[in-house]
Amino acid sequence: MSSSSYIARKQELPLKGENTSLFLQVIISIAVFIFAITLSGVLSVDSMISSWNKSILGSLTVQIIPVNDTDKEKARAETLAYEEKAVDFLKSVNGVTKVTPLSDEQLNELLLPWLGDGVDISELPAPRIIDVRISPDADFDFAQLAKDLAAASPQASLDNHKLWLNKLIAFADGLNLIATTILLLVSAITSGAIFYTTQMSLGLHHHIIEILHIVGAKDAYIAQQYAKRMAFLGFIGGIIGLFFAVPAIFFIGNLALAIEGGIITEAGLNFGDWAVILLLPLFSMLIAMLTAYYTVKKTLKKML
Amino acid sequence: MSDPNNIIEMNNVGIRYGQGPEILSDIKLALPRGSFHFLTGQSGAGKTSLLSLMYLAQKPSRGQISVFNHNLSFANRDQLASLRRRIGVVFQDFRLIEHLSAFDNVALPLRVSGMDEREIRKRVTELLTWVELDAHMQDQTSILSGGEKQRVAIARAVINRPDLLLADEPTGNVDNIIAGKLMKLFVELNKLGTTVVIATHSDKIINDFAYPRLHLQNRGLHIYYPSDMSALGGVHV
Repeated sequence: MSSSSYIARKQELPLKGENTSLFLQVIISIAVFIFAITLSGVLSVDSMISSWNKSILGSLTVQIIPVNDTDKEKARAETLAYEEKAVDFLKSVNGVTKVTPLSDEQLNELLLPWLGDGVDISELPAPRIIDVRISPDADFDFAQLAKDLAAASPQASLDNHKLWLNKLIAFADGLNLIATTILLLVSAITSGAIFYTTQMSLGLHHHIIEILHIVGAKDAYIAQQYAKRMAFLGFIGGIIGLFFAVPAIFFIGNLALAIEGGIITEAGLNFGDWAVILLLPLFSMLIAMLTAYYTVKKTLKKML
Repeated sequence: MSDPNNIIEMNNVGIRYGQGPEILSDIKLALPRGSFHFLTGQSGAGKTSLLSLMYLAQKPSRGQISVFNHNLSFANRDQLASLRRRIGVVFQDFRLIEHLSAFDNVALPLRVSGMDEREIRKRVTELLTWVELDAHMQDQTSILSGGEKQRVAIARAVINRPDLLLADEPTGNVDNIIAGKLMKLFVELNKLGTTVVIATHSDKIINDFAYPRLHLQNRGLHIYYPSDMSALGGVHV
């Protein structure tokens, strides 16, 4: 007898031919598809927040509230004087690397989307803006800086963008919470499907399990056969789900890029994010394997 | 405290299924290590139930059982599995895994205990050749005849040289020559130290081999030794 005939050893439990295999593969494929899309959304939002954070961390905005006076020329001159005082003060602060008061043209450009073309900014009581760049290593006490600034230039107010960013982060956190709930639900549904099909299979192969027990097989021996099979189904299902998810992620990404406004363009997946998404078949394999293993162990406990 | 010389001890054991009456009542049994017994009784007397208690396939409804000096009331699942590895069982209905080959069926007890595959190959080939199934080693058991299946079942039961061998009508499906050969195998195993219990209806086997008889009657167990077999009188076995 050739040794090769032994290599083709069959598993005691004929799990390969089970009708539920296809059902499980479809369930796992759909689960991984939804998982991948949702996960890419979560990771994109995270990268968007991180990008906003980075761009905001190194800058401050100082606003000079326009002086209110019936004499517009006088009011403008006083406002510009406050602006100059604020600039002088900011230049003297340690950690401030660049102070740039925005010109009328720049302010016009900023207000253009709201006020439309042909409006002279100098005619309006619009605030003056000073863009301040700060060293990323500088440890500022923003409350104290705002007080000192107000003392140097009473019409000046400091905005370190935190309030705006915090609102966005709260919104993004909400999105992430919804996404995490979806991920948990998808995992639970997949595990549930594996749990019930494994239990069905245990019932179907009850006579073989009885024989295995009689010859001295421990529960772990039987559970390993199920775990191996489910790991295979989990991996293949994961690959199929990913096969459909990757083009879908690119498609959604392109749709997002087509939205004008500049905010969404910050969203994107980096190498690490893609690595996490591409590892999903391994994740589905692990979930399927562990669910099957512990289902078998738990169910067999009821037998002698 | 059980006697270390006994392989199995049963004290006041009773067994019932569901809410029905007891099939076996107040069974007391001490099976000495290295002994050989026949188990007899009319159909429905409870032979299969008693055997199933011995190979740890079910718990008694009442009473205490010790196997290899382990009180089964306190054994956990892994301990039960380890005890079962020391027991070989031959079933009347063979209980083979039909989609597996004769080789894989016989190799089963060795594989579950984690034996090296080369050693398995050697032992299984040797034993299947001995029971004259070398030509059918790779055949699925579903295509084997009744007699061939019986020999596969016996080979599976003895492959790991068990301390206790239990057989339910092991010669029921084989001709007289093979039956004689299989009985010789059981006797040889017994001489090597295996404790043997064979449930049988065959008067020929019981008469040919002078071993004590465990006889089930009226839900109770009675032991007869070869010298007082006449005490059985008209009991049909």
